[in-house]
Amino acid sequence: MKKKQHPSVFWENCAYSKITRVMKLTIAIMLFACLHVSAGGFSQEKVSLDLQSVSLKKVLSTIEKKSSFRFLYNESIVSNQPAVSIVAANEDVKSVLHKIFANTHIDYKILDNNLIVLKEGTGAEVAAEALSPNIKVTGTVTSAQGGSPLLGVSVTVKGKGIGTATDVNGNFTLNNVLETDVLVFSSVGFETLEVPVAGQATMNVVLQTSNRELDQVVVVGYGTARRRDLTGAVASIKGADLASQPVLTATQALQGKAAGVQIISSGAPNSNPAVRIRGTGSMLAGANPLYVVDGVLTDDITNINNADIVTMDVLKDASSTAIYGVRAANGVIIITTKKGRAGKMQISYDGTVGVKEAAHLVNMAGSKQYTGYINEASRYYGSTDDLVDTTLLKNGYNTDWYDAILRQALQQNNNISISGGSDKINYFLSAGYLIDNGIVKNNDFKRFTLRSNNEYKISSKLKATTLISFSNGILDDVDLSSASGNAYRATPLIPSKVNGKYGNTSTFQNVGNPVLDIDKNYNRGIDNRLQAAATLEYKITKWLTFNSNLGVDLDFYKNTQYKYQYFADSTVFIQSGGNQQQPVSTLAMTKNDANRWIWDNTLTATKKFGDHNFRLLVGTTAEKFNFNRLYGYRQGVPADQSQWYLNTGLDSTQKNNGSGDKWSRNSYIGRLNYDYKDKYLITATLRADGSSRLPSYTRWGYFPSVAAAWNISSEDFMKDNKTFDYLKLRASWGKVGNDNIPSSAFLNLATSNLQYGYLGNGIAFTNVIDPNLKWEETEEIDLGVDCSVLEKRLTGTVDLYHKKVNGALINIVPVGALGDQDNIILTNAASILNKGIELGLNWADKVGKDWSYYVNANVAFNHNEASGIPVGLADGNIAGQGFVTLSPSGQPIASYNVLKVLGVFQSQADIDNYKNKDGKVIQPNAVPGDFKYEDKNGDGAITADDRQLVGSYQPKVIYGINGGVNYKNFDLSIGTYGTSGGKIYNAKKALRDNANQLENMESDVVTNRWTTVNKTNTEPRASVTQLPASTYFVENGSFFRINNLTIGYTLPAKSLEKAKITKLRVYVAAQNLATFTKYKGFTPEFSSVTAQASALKGDPLSATNQSNLGITNAGVDANTYPTVRTWVFGLNLGF
Amino acid sequence: MKTKNIFLILIITVASIACIIAGCSKNFLDVPAQGQQTKDEVSKDPNAASNLVLGAYNALYFGGFGNTTVGLELCLTVDVASDDADKGSSPSDQQATAGKMDNFTVDANVSYLNDLWNGHYTAIARVNQALSVLNDATFDPGLKNRLIGETRFLRGYFYFNLVRLFGGVPLILRVPTIADQTNPAFVTRTSSDSVYAAIIADFQFAVDNLPLRGGPGATEGRVNKGTAEAYLAKVYLYQKNYQKAYDLTTDIMTSGKFSLVPYPYYAQVFREHSVLANGVPVGGNNNSESMFEVQAAKNNACDAISKLYSNGQGPRATKGWINVFGNYTYNGDLGFGLNTPSADLANAYEANDTRKAGTIIFVQPTGGANAGTFLWDGFRIPTQDSVQNPRYNYKAYHSPVAETVACNGPDDKDDKPKDIRLMRFADVLLINAEAAVQIGNTGAAQIALDSIRHRAGLASVPATINNIWKERRVELAMECDRFFDVIRQGRGVQVFGPLGFTANKNEVFPIPQNQIDLSGGKLKQNPGYN
Repeated sequence: MKKKQHPSVFWENCAYSKITRVMKLTIAIMLFACLHVSAGGFSQEKVSLDLQSVSLKKVLSTIEKKSSFRFLYNESIVSNQPAVSIVAANEDVKSVLHKIFANTHIDYKILDNNLIVLKEGTGAEVAAEALSPNIKVTGTVTSAQGGSPLLGVSVTVKGKGIGTATDVNGNFTLNNVLETDVLVFSSVGFETLEVPVAGQATMNVVLQTSNRELDQVVVVGYGTARRRDLTGAVASIKGADLASQPVLTATQALQGKAAGVQIISSGAPNSNPAVRIRGTGSMLAGANPLYVVDGVLTDDITNINNADIVTMDVLKDASSTAIYGVRAANGVIIITTKKGRAGKMQISYDGTVGVKEAAHLVNMAGSKQYTGYINEASRYYGSTDDLVDTTLLKNGYNTDWYDAILRQALQQNNNISISGGSDKINYFLSAGYLIDNGIVKNNDFKRFTLRSNNEYKISSKLKATTLISFSNGILDDVDLSSASGNAYRATPLIPSKVNGKYGNTSTFQNVGNPVLDIDKNYNRGIDNRLQAAATLEYKITKWLTFNSNLGVDLDFYKNTQYKYQYFADSTVFIQSGGNQQQPVSTLAMTKNDANRWIWDNTLTATKKFGDHNFRLLVGTTAEKFNFNRLYGYRQGVPADQSQWYLNTGLDSTQKNNGSGDKWSRNSYIGRLNYDYKDKYLITATLRADGSSRLPSYTRWGYFPSVAAAWNISSEDFMKDNKTFDYLKLRASWGKVGNDNIPSSAFLNLATSNLQYGYLGNGIAFTNVIDPNLKWEETEEIDLGVDCSVLEKRLTGTVDLYHKKVNGALINIVPVGALGDQDNIILTNAASILNKGIELGLNWADKVGKDWSYYVNANVAFNHNEASGIPVGLADGNIAGQGFVTLSPSGQPIASYNVLKVLGVFQSQADIDNYKNKDGKVIQPNAVPGDFKYEDKNGDGAITADDRQLVGSYQPKVIYGINGGVNYKNFDLSIGTYGTSGGKIYNAKKALRDNANQLENMESDVVTNRWTTVNKTNTEPRASVTQLPASTYFVENGSFFRINNLTIGYTLPAKSLEKAKITKLRVYVAAQNLATFTKYKGFTPEFSSVTAQASALKGDPLSATNQSNLGITNAGVDANTYPTVRTWVFGLNLGF
Repeated sequence: MKTKNIFLILIITVASIACIIAGCSKNFLDVPAQGQQTKDEVSKDPNAASNLVLGAYNALYFGGFGNTTVGLELCLTVDVASDDADKGSSPSDQQATAGKMDNFTVDANVSYLNDLWNGHYTAIARVNQALSVLNDATFDPGLKNRLIGETRFLRGYFYFNLVRLFGGVPLILRVPTIADQTNPAFVTRTSSDSVYAAIIADFQFAVDNLPLRGGPGATEGRVNKGTAEAYLAKVYLYQKNYQKAYDLTTDIMTSGKFSLVPYPYYAQVFREHSVLANGVPVGGNNNSESMFEVQAAKNNACDAISKLYSNGQGPRATKGWINVFGNYTYNGDLGFGLNTPSADLANAYEANDTRKAGTIIFVQPTGGANAGTFLWDGFRIPTQDSVQNPRYNYKAYHSPVAETVACNGPDDKDDKPKDIRLMRFADVLLINAEAAVQIGNTGAAQIALDSIRHRAGLASVPATINNIWKERRVELAMECDRFFDVIRQGRGVQVFGPLGFTANKNEVFPIPQNQIDLSGGKLKQNPGYN
């Protein structure tokens, strides 16, 4: 059992010992503390003691309390010693130590900084190595990233039990070092470095940030863990990787970086990307993960400045997320923001400036193509007249409407931060200002953020932390569905604007001029958000810690929408007439106040019994959410912005409204971590959640999980193994929930304001509800392998998972006799399965002195399938085509349900010969050039019953490859991302208005159309009517994208010294550099969340509209914001 | 040691505060629904009972092209099916729905049927919800019984429509729960006799508990004793219980609360405002012959109306129209042009019958630029070259400017606040006449029939059954009565045969296929439809 510890590996063993992570931190804290108390080298300090028959440990802690000495030891050495009695009156510490250790098997050594190291031995002070010719080595340790001095780096002499730690300026001094010794520099988060002394008296050392993940600390919810101690599937992304990308929300930068995490971002400013961790796990309760920002639970992280983030930890499997119980079914992303480090004040500035442009545009038909196509189409309807007067071509207009509404937009991001600290206080203060304008005109976004994160060490036992962040975001929105939609439909024959007057598309073809639409609608949302957390951490005893964390999230949102008055007359338009007008100005104002608080109280016990290590966490959390909306409306408000208050409008036109929401949640959490000799690890979690959203008799849910891991590489039989530096097997099982359902959905609530004539307002209970409604429950099994080979240069992770959502929410259609007014009942009737495999590989190495590089690749395969749905949930309504998606049993959620195109009828004979088995001509009204659709049910007619399921937006594979190279002062990094197997419904193409025969179409549609001389089988003849929903509109959605490319240069430190600059790096970066896809629309990556969802910001009630969630209509590309390519120049500056 | 104790105390304090605020407090998780009342809260509200009754009345607005009680789709079902009206509008418009009603090719998939089914059951559910609160409520028994009476009247009314449309239907007399989704009572049909028995019970309760029109506790616009008696009499007429029908109608006639709008003001019956006749206001909403009428109002939410009722039946343009009213220029037509009076109906009127012009808008075949048909408010319907159909329903017309303007202004055609006349005193008189003939009281029958004909400007005719039935047609034309009336008289093949009527099938409409599917096939289809 007892492993012999060779003195030479004492330090290393210490770092990797069975002492838990906390112990290690304790040491680090002690080291810091020592550095500050030691005034001048070896002390002659005196102590008084009077202890009878107490444990050695007690004696040591008493000395620590009464003096500036600190002990450093492996717990197992001290715990096995006999009881000690000692009396000392103002005695020299040295002599006291001698008395104490005389009868023990412990050697001790007093180092610089009053640090006393204990190790197994004979009970004597280790003699100074008097015989050797020793030298004094001094030096400075700095970080390769930013060049800042590093505090608390452990500096030891290899093979000897001596060492020290660096001070606030990164300086260290070691006495009695042999010229032949090797110094070992180690610090958490950095590569350990060994440097031979080789007679040098001064050693300046630069430490590289560690690419070895095993020792990185991972935030796991209500605590942290070393990666090597994890039993679940957790992916981590460092803040530096996020901050280098010119994107607004941190999740966007996560794209392609973590296996099994699909990020669907939008080009629109201030958009919160859709995130799917291990597939889509819900239809009606939201499929986005839970975010935990410094302990505060939230759904929206657009207020967080990327530059403030240290790490993002993505908890993927149920055993990891179970600690978040009923919120965790879609995975959890934990965001930790920066804190100050003890040491010299550091000031840094990071800035980028750049431009954004549409990454890809759809080429619309020009004037001649347009005119020719429509007139050709009109011939098919037996007309001899031209639908479009060809003399209009003489006007010479050939408007590209996307040109008219799009622009190159400015992006600018400035961040400044001040951080530092002492032994009592660490501080981090940052301010950021972001301008992120959209590529659609008038679509501007500005955000100011301020953060103050402070840590206060009140005593050696009590620590307080405050994290406060404020953000102010101002978004000028445009109605994309009308602007982009009309730009797609409007004729190129009409100019957008000439001499201040608009082209009148509306008189020509009943489509509004999108430029005018943008100019005459004002829509500004101002969001002020304060997010704060205060933590009190008290070490009751060495092994027991109490932690109380109070978080608040206040969101104040105000939206102003003003519609300018204008008429369809000659002062506005080149030609008057048409229906594009706003005869009366309107002002609508909405104010949403949302606030939530969350209070966690936990107790953590860490105990070791021999080789058995236990860590137990128990706690409670309570959470409350309040929401309040106020809405006001009036007409006739003057156009001057200074008059935009409701009182200036006509009071006869006033409307107001309001609504509110409130819910609370109370939870109990428990987690036990156990390991035996670091080989066998078990984590068991249980969370009990009570939610006010559910009826009292079903409101409590219990979410258990267990996970086990086996560190094979720690086994004795692996000692001689040369292949694996590290090998771990993991297995986990867990249950989690998703209670993201509208508050009180289980209650039968009255609808009020049901006016009846002038008799008054009635109320009614209009709906049948499911009184036993409950959360969705996800059960997940995960099997994983983590390994590291080739001297830790190659690390890999493989995970297999099987995730089944039971009791998934679905709307069932009741029999009419129930009299349910909305004709749907929300109930837990469906199941959703996601299963798949994830692989991640990471290679990092150095070549010579100047080169270092890394490559990581990840890929995930997922299979998604819904079941238990009797009819299928239809969504994705396209005017004129009906619902084009269906979520039925046995198919992926939001599968396209459309007619299958078999080809194009080439001749009348083709049409006549296309019969069903009874000889009935299936498409008797077709003409050559029309699509031939499959008559699936064989009834001899093409009807809605012939629709079939042809895939969904959900990719079968997602992958990312990232890499980076450092050469001397140059750095280059590249990030890529791709998906495969997903399909897209090109709804823009499908949205033709039958009543309006003059709509424009894509240039390709015109060029490739079927004609008697171009007998294609893929594109139909010219047509001015809407085609039915078919596979023609379903396109391949696979794509591969070079997401980010950054090239940087760090100026040599020496050249900056005079300017007192510690770091200066300049770089250029391109975001979304190139996309490779077959999809013909604007972008294969988009979220089909209804446009202008931002107006509903903070509104939990909006979640009741299924289309707002973008789940059951995913992949229907109707009003997609074109994705943007961003070019930036950036600067990192440190003082 | 001391500091340690202080911290321990601190922890305990913090923990116990946490406990009090969150963990241990039972109330922490009892958060009431915000902004919406639960049944418990409604029960505590002193106005709740009365409000729930209004909420049930509100179901009379169900219409548009969606769930319907007495709105547009009911007209497009029963009037279009009858010989009174054609589908109207452009040939393709509503061809698969109203078009199939018109020529009796209706099948179980015609969407109106499901809309009518759902609309009526949704209304019935509101009634049952209101009754469950009312029955438990403790307040003045007189008021309580009046409110229950009104509510039960509405339930009886909705079932009366259902049983006439579909025959026997599931009879739901309580608040449903989600478990009833598979309850046989909700997915199997109750015989039409049992449904009628429930209707009679509901109407009888209303007759016994409602005040007389204008009497203590009565409010104009809410149903009164006369309303309930009129419908009960109508049910008895359908049941051929002529004595009861006669007694009930006689009771209404002798109550003195109802009278016919005098000659020559028939058209005024269907207008919003009354006019002065010899200094006395006549006609308008809730006029002297109003027995039951959907109360409409203008409000900000545009929801105190039956959507599209007026617009759906409004004259439809084929080319642009312009009407100038004072300083307002009305640009466009009046609606979809559905449910147009048939030529057969137009021919059914005798010469000099004032009701003809009050019922039908006749479009002029030719004229000139400013010619056409001028409606009572001056609105000009151009001549036939700009108009889709030759005739339109005048009773559904609501003036865009001379009556209450729709909530979004005169251009807002969908939201016209039109009171739909569901039963008039004229019907009561004609029931009385028919019942009197059947029980041999021809004297009484003649008096009742004469009063109808004289008001129309016509001379007396003998009070025979056939004359009374003929009178019913022209008096109540385009008021959703004709189809049911002819079926009741047992003359389906005789009257509707030329239109495609099939005996033993078309007396009722098919049960919506949707509902049969949702019931898992337990709901059985009417004979002749499959």
